[in-house]
Parts: sequence; structure tokens; C-alpha cells
Amino acid sequence: MTKILDGRKISAEIRDELKQKIRSLKEKGTIPGLAGILVGEDESSSTYIRLKEKAGEEIGIYSEIVKLPENTTQEHLLKEIDRLNLDAKIHGIFIQLPLPKHIIESKALTSISPDKDVDGFHPMNVGKAWLGQEAFLPATPSGIYEILIRYGYNNFKGKNVVIVNVDNLVGKPLASIFAQEDVGANVTLCHPSTPSLSDYTRRADILVVSVNKPKFINADMVKEGVIAIDFGASYIEDPTYKMKRRLVGDIDFEGVKEKAEAITPVPGGVGPMTITMLLCNTIKAAEIMHHIQS
Amino acid sequence: MVEIIDGRKIAAAIREELKQRTDKLKEKGVIPALAAVLVGEDPASLSYLRSIARGCEKIGMLMETAELPENITQEALERKIEGLNKNPKFHGIILQLPLPKHLDTLKAESAISPDKDIDGTNPVNIGKLLLGEETFLPSTPYGVQELLVRSGHSPEGKHVVICGRSNIVGKPLMGILVQKQKKANATVTVCHTGTKALPSITRQADILVAAMGKAKAITADMVKEGAIVIDVGVNQIEDPATGKFKLVGDVDFEAVKEKAGAITPVPGGTGPVTTAMLMANTIKAAERRNT
Repeated sequence: MTKILDGRKISAEIRDELKQKIRSLKEKGTIPGLAGILVGEDESSSTYIRLKEKAGEEIGIYSEIVKLPENTTQEHLLKEIDRLNLDAKIHGIFIQLPLPKHIIESKALTSISPDKDVDGFHPMNVGKAWLGQEAFLPATPSGIYEILIRYGYNNFKGKNVVIVNVDNLVGKPLASIFAQEDVGANVTLCHPSTPSLSDYTRRADILVVSVNKPKFINADMVKEGVIAIDFGASYIEDPTYKMKRRLVGDIDFEGVKEKAEAITPVPGGVGPMTITMLLCNTIKAAEIMHHIQS
Repeated sequence: MVEIIDGRKIAAAIREELKQRTDKLKEKGVIPALAAVLVGEDPASLSYLRSIARGCEKIGMLMETAELPENITQEALERKIEGLNKNPKFHGIILQLPLPKHLDTLKAESAISPDKDIDGTNPVNIGKLLLGEETFLPSTPYGVQELLVRSGHSPEGKHVVICGRSNIVGKPLMGILVQKQKKANATVTVCHTGTKALPSITRQADILVAAMGKAKAITADMVKEGAIVIDVGVNQIEDPATGKFKLVGDVDFEAVKEKAGAITPVPGGTGPVTTAMLMANTIKAAERRNT
């Protein structure tokens, strides 16, 4: 029987554990604080940042959203970041991306103190993670790793991990987890345009795909017993749905499920993990800042 | 016929370009200068630093080595590095590894100012490398990229398999070659060298990079016909015939060259290009400061 890797269930489990941690932090006088910065009024960004705020509040994190107008100057944004860097109530800071075009994204991201960089986008954290040092990891790769671990997949020595995505948010940081000496996997980073892609995907013991193209990976492209992780999100028309469309991933779920040992669904797979991992990082930041062992 | 990629020739061509850039800087009154920090008296380290000094001299760059005693404390080492950070004469700083065991390598590397960290070892520069931002690329993987491109074997669209995942070669090389940029854009595999499956992975390589630090670890049966084989290994082994020590790479050169399309020798392959890239980065640092 194929295991369906249930991100919602794992996510709920982790949030329960986080509540415990927050209780013990509070007993020691610390309330973990998370600040999100939103520039402009993009609808999906606004929705998403509210979800993060709400998720934080539900488990007892102090949450704050700093809303800045679309025409905010870079200088003003950096000042706001600096204010939050110095704010003792705040342990984690993230910027809801994308930023308006007149702001240099890397400049903003590197202004967040690496100690409060709970998205793990600061080059200092990226570099430390790559070197195998303690660092904040971005939510998607750590969410994927956490799902695997919690379903009992914890030995990657000599396993072939094939990742179809080379971006800064998914592919590269995920490679950075699996390529560490103590994890010991063989890691392949493929571009969606890699020639003869199926030659690579068919060798994968663990296949991670994030290209945002429905049914990009079909059953012919995977081997029997693969663990398939889908971080794609596209909408396809479906008259049976209320909105006449539904969310699908990159993997032909029905087809690949027949061959896979385990597979994440979309929705309900990796997606629900991302906010949870942000909350984990916030609590970790608070623990580190107050020298509290978890 | 297999092509033997001549690293010395490529390094000489790079140095020729670097000399022109150095001459331009000199017209502005700037002499690109590299400071090396050496702790202890390891003979291999000394000879490596001497070879860099020779390269620098050839093109009119300055290089100085701070020789520090084996028993130096972490604080004193970091103070020394801090002094070099502040010294306007130097554009680049390298810390020669390995350090004695009582010293914290990462902490010492992190002490080098990112603007002078021309071997790209500060975590901030490694992070920038991975993110695809402008930075100093570590000299060995940077040299591998240059060697490939300049010998006409661009990694674009190719499958590069890297054996060895060290922080100075394997991991940064993956980061460099996977970027969606010119001279990169490769599909890249880094592999765990301790598994039985290794040959099945190395045989898929269009470009195979050996960086595991083990003499003759890559044998002919591990290489695909026509593959480009880049040997980053440097191992001293005793020649049973003469009893003398000689330098060999991680690739069984004689056997693999019968199958490979192109191959780098050891010595005379990646080594000279690595040194040239250290010089290139120092000049880049000097240009950055003087434009």
C-alpha cells in the first residue's frame, strides 16, 4: 500500500509540540515574537501574511505585521527592518516576497539580522547551512525533510535524491540538507529543462519536484518504490469544483501513486508544512536568544 | 585520441590577462596585494604558498606571508587577521589550511573581511555563491569551472558528477555549476563516495570531477566512454620501483585516459589554475576598491 504523506497531520502534530515549547518559554519569561513585513497591497501576499500571523497567534506566538505602502523607499524599509532587529520582543523577522521592483530584494534580505532571519534567506544562514553549521533553514526544504523524518524515512546514506528545481527557495537549500556528510545522500539538482530528465528521475529513490507544471512527472518517469515529494502548485479547470478550478501539483498523483512507496498529495502535502516550519524557526530563535535548551 | 588538458598552459593564458589588468591598476598607482596567513611550518603549505608567490611575482603582484607560530592562540590569530583587514595595502587575504587542532577554522575564516575574502571561505560569501549573487568564488572550484570552459568543455546542459563533498571543493562546485548562468547551467550530482553504487553514478557523468583525496579511487570501469575527467586530488604516494614519493591524483590516470574524451593530469592539471584564480580574485578585489 502506498503511503500518502499527510502534511496537514504532521503539521498539526508539530504545532502541538510547539505549544508545549512556548509554554515552557513563557514560564521562563519569554514570549516568542514574529514580525512580518508587507510592502504594498498584493492580494495573495496579504492573505498569506495574515495566515502566518494567525498561525503564530494560535499557538501563542506574539505576532506583528508591519504594513508599508507600495511606494515605500528602500531606505525607509531598511530603517523598519533595523527597528525590528533591535526590538527585544521580536525574535523572528520575515519579509513577505515579492517586493515592489524599486526595492533591491537582496539588500532588504541581508538587512535582517542573521539571528532573526527565520526565513533563512540571509547569505550568512545560507552559507552556514551549506557548510553544515547550525543555521536557519528556509521553510520549504526543512518542511520536506521533516515530513520524511516523521514518516520514518531517516536513513539517506547512499540514497539517490533527485531534485527538479535549482531555485534559492527549494532546490539549492534542499541539496544543502541532503548533501551533508552525516546525511550522506547522492544529490542531483536538475533544471526543469535538463536534457533527458527522465533518465534522472527514474533513478531517484527520493524525487522532489517543484516546477509548477501539472502532470510534469508521470508514472513512466519514476521507478517502482520511489518516495515522491510534490511542491508544485497550479490550477486546472474542473467544473465539479465550486470555483470551477482546483489546485494540483507537478506529479500525476493517480498514476505515480501506483508505483510509489510514498507520495505527498497536493493540496495537503508539503504546503501545510511551510508556515509550521516558520513557526519552528521563530521558537528556535527565541530559545537561542535566551540560551534556553529545547 | 584522448585530450590531455594542460592546466599549466591555461593558467599561463589566465596570468597573461591578469598581467594586463595589473598593469592598468599600476597606472593608477595601485599594486594588487595578497596576504597569506600561515600557522606553523607544514612543508606542503609552505611549498603551496611559494608557488602562489611565484605566480604573483610573474605578473607584478605583491604577496606577503605572515608566518605565525604553531602554538598561537585563537585570539591572537583573529587579531592578526583583523590587522590585515584594516591594512589598506592588502586587497586579498587567504588563511592557509589546515590549522593546528586547537584552533577553530570556521571562526578564523569568518574573521576575514568578506571584501578581502578572495578564497571565498567566509560563510557570507559561500551563501552569496549559492544564491547566485556577486562574490569571490573559492579558488579550486572556480579553477575547475575555468578549466572546463577554457578547454572547450563548457558544463552548460551537461551532467556533472562530483565525487567528494568537501566544503572547499565539492559543495561550492555544485553551487557554482548549477546556477542559471553562463559557464554553468549544468545538471549536478554530488555523491557519497562510500557506497557500492558509486560506479553506477560516476558512469553517468558527461563531466566527472574527482575530489575525494584518495589515490587512484576513480578507475576505468567507473568512467563513461568519452567523458571529461577532472582530477582535483593531490596525494603523495611512494613509487615501489624507486622508493621515492610522487604526486598522484584521485584518478587512475593511465587506465582512465584510454576511455576518457579529455582528462587533466596531476600535477599540471587543476593545481596551476587554482593558483591563477586566487590571483584573479585578488585583482578583482583591487579593481572593486579602485573604480
